[in-house]
Order: sequence, then C-alpha cells, then structure tokens
Amino acid sequence: MTVDLEHASDASIVVAVGRWHEPALAELYRRHGGAVHALARRILRSEASAEEVTQEVFLDLWRHPEKFDAQRGTLRSFLLARTHGKAVDVVRSEESRRRREERLSRETATAAYDIDHEVWDLAVAEQVQAALDALPDELRQPIALAYFGGHTYKEVAVLLGAPEGTVKSRIRSGLGRLRTGLTERGVSPAGAGR
Amino acid sequence: MSGPVPDPGHQEIQGLLGVYALDAVDPATARLVEEHLSDCLRCAAEVAQHHEVAGLLANSGGAAPDQVWDGIAARLDGPADGWDRLAARLGTEAARETSGPRPGAARLRRSGRQRWATAAAGLAAAAAAFVALVLGLQVGHLHSQVRALQATPHLSAAEQAAAADPSTLRIPLRASTGTRRAPPATVVLTADGTGFVVNGDLAALPADQTYQLWGVLDGRTVSLGLLGARPTVVPFSVAGGGAVRAFAITAERAGGVVQSTHQPVAAGVVRA
Repeated sequence: MTVDLEHASDASIVVAVGRWHEPALAELYRRHGGAVHALARRILRSEASAEEVTQEVFLDLWRHPEKFDAQRGTLRSFLLARTHGKAVDVVRSEESRRRREERLSRETATAAYDIDHEVWDLAVAEQVQAALDALPDELRQPIALAYFGGHTYKEVAVLLGAPEGTVKSRIRSGLGRLRTGLTERGVSPAGAGR
Repeated sequence: MSGPVPDPGHQEIQGLLGVYALDAVDPATARLVEEHLSDCLRCAAEVAQHHEVAGLLANSGGAAPDQVWDGIAARLDGPADGWDRLAARLGTEAARETSGPRPGAARLRRSGRQRWATAAAGLAAAAAAFVALVLGLQVGHLHSQVRALQATPHLSAAEQAAAADPSTLRIPLRASTGTRRAPPATVVLTADGTGFVVNGDLAALPADQTYQLWGVLDGRTVSLGLLGARPTVVPFSVAGGGAVRAFAITAERAGGVVQSTHQPVAAGVVRA
C-alpha cells in the first residue's frame, strides 16, 4: 500500500498498522512516543519502567490496532489513556503499594506544593495552563493527584482529608470544567494531539 | 459478572466516570464501569471526553526517544496472515499471553499481509504463521475440561472413553468475545488422529448455512469437514494428515467452501 505517512492522518496510519506496515508504526511513534514516554516517566518516576511501558503501549497498538476507535477520540488520547492505565498498574503492584502506603502520610503535608509544581511542569500549552489555573484548587488537586500521582480516588480522599464521594464528584466535575475552559480558549479537546 | 460489588444503576456509574477515566478506581469497580460502557453510548462518550482532556494535561514531552523505538522494533512480531490477528481476536487468556516477544518473529516479519477476513487465500497462507501462534499461545486448563466433556449427554460411550484417555488432546476453541465464558466448542483429538467437535455454545445457524471445521497441519490449512447448522457432537478424522497445530470453525453457506473468507467464530491452538 502507498501511504504518504508524513501527511496522513493518525487514523489512516492506524489502518496501515493493521496491515503490518512497520513504517506506519514508526511514524505514530514519532508523533506520539514523546508524550507517551513523558507521561509514563512522570507517573513512574523511573526511566527504565517508563521505557518498558512505552514499548508495551506501541506493541499493543501493533497487535491490536482495532482497539483504537477513531469515532471515540484522537489517537493521542487513546495512547495516553493506555499509557496511564499501564503506568498505574505498575505503580499499584503489590511491591510498590507497600512503599506508597508508607509514603502516604508524609506526602499529605506537601501535596499541595507538589501538585502545583507538577501541573505547572506538565502544561505545555498556554491554554491548557490557563484552563488549569482557572480551576479552583479543590477541583484541580484531586485531578492532579489521581492523574499524575496515579492514586485511586480513595487514596486521594485520604491525602486531601476529604470524603471519598466528594473527591469522586470533584474529579468528574473538574474534568468537565477543564473541557469547557479549554474549548473557550480555542482548544478543542476532541481535536487535540494532531 | 460475579463479584462482591452489587449491580449499580446508571446514575451511580455516571458518578464514577471521572475517576474511572483517570484509572483512579480499583479493578473490580473498573470492570463494573466497563460492563456498563459496553451498553451505554452516552457514558462511553463521556469517558472518551475525559480521556481527551486528560490527554491534553499530559500533552508534554519532547521528541520520542530513539532507544525506546529500537526496543519496540526489536519486539515487533510478524504479521501472521490472519492467524495473528485471529489470536488477537480470540480475546482469551491465552491470547493475552502473546504480549511477550516471540522467538520466531524476526523470521516471520513481512512474510505476508493478508488478513483472515479479507484474504481470498487467507486460510492457506495462514499456515505459514502458525509457528508464531504456537509459540505465543498456551492453551490452558485442558485437563480440567475432561469431566465437563464426559458429562456431555451427547457423547457416546466410545467418545467418553476417548475423552478420558490421557493421551487425548482437548482443545477449547474460543470466540473473539466473552473471555470469561465457556468456549463455544471443544475439539477432542485422540492420538490416532480421530476426533470430534463438541458444541459448547455455538448458536444454531439458518438452514442455508453450516459450520465448517478447519485445521492447520503440516503447513497447510485444510477443511476437516462440515459440522451442520446445529452441531452437537461431530466426529472427524485427520489420520495420516500429520500433526494439527490449530483448529478453527467458520460459518459458511450450506455445502461449505474450499477456502474461507470469514473470520472464525471460534478457534484454538494445539499445545505443542
């Protein structure tokens, strides 16, 4: 098949991946590998683990391209969601859970500072940063702790000293508010990542 | 689903969509939400939206590191002319075990491009790739099925005896969905090459269609016979045909076909 990979859409390149076209996977890696790797590294705080997760994400795409549904969203958000899932699986593995539990209480005191720092560090686009800034702390913190910290919402509740139900609903409404904020700033979440 | 968590309503699941999208739930809750998402387009769309937003938050990082790509490229397994995609579609525990590197991958890479669903000669070509499949797949828990098979009311005394023989292979043929369900069919293969297919969960076909059994043996994919539209227990023979590496069942028009262009309704690999 002939595909102008450099100019083809993600979705059409995924079709080529489905036909075992290795350069197609390489192109998708070139486009999204950096973001996948950075997210994995941020959550895992280990270069070796991040590389392993990154490899698995792209190998999964190679083996199961049909799992990506272009109707549902962008390839980048699909890959990042897979990355996030794999990374938190690693984080929550039995061994690391013990270490995390020891760490939880220590982290509580400094959580607010760390989160601000991480969010600042991660938000590359001005609009994303602005949308984040516009979020009240009580919505931003649980999202950051869950997403970047890899914590379950129940752990987040412990960290923030808030009821679980409150954390659950704040994360959901915070994501909704972020989406609205991004749209208002001209960033269309559905079209991101191209 | 059987679990300690009671079946929640739509509203309760809705409340979990945000934390689910951020992987901030325990596995049991995640399964619960996923079950709901498969039926509820609205909630599935909301999760997709949350993923988009979360993706933007993570949208940083520089160039994709070269050394990681080298690691990926080294682990790319071969195209498998449909069989590999077939394995992916099986969605079984066994298929999930294929995530490791396959020793045969380098040799197989680029050897073909056909997919089961589209390739006219897909079944014949598939044989070239069975090595990768056999290496990657492990069909487990065969012996645990002996008792269940023997309890199948349709089995004759001879068939029950064959099923109980320790040298007899029992190969569950699994479907692409319903990973937790019983296999749709099981192949029982005796050491002398005779065997039979036991229908577990194959739905009845319209009268103008038939199930057809296929085997991969000695590098060829051959039809092992028609099973009919409502199979129960159907004998077949591969005596003299060499070692069978994999079985698959397709739904075809009555009378069967020489080569199938259909995706198997069930398939399984014989443990090497």
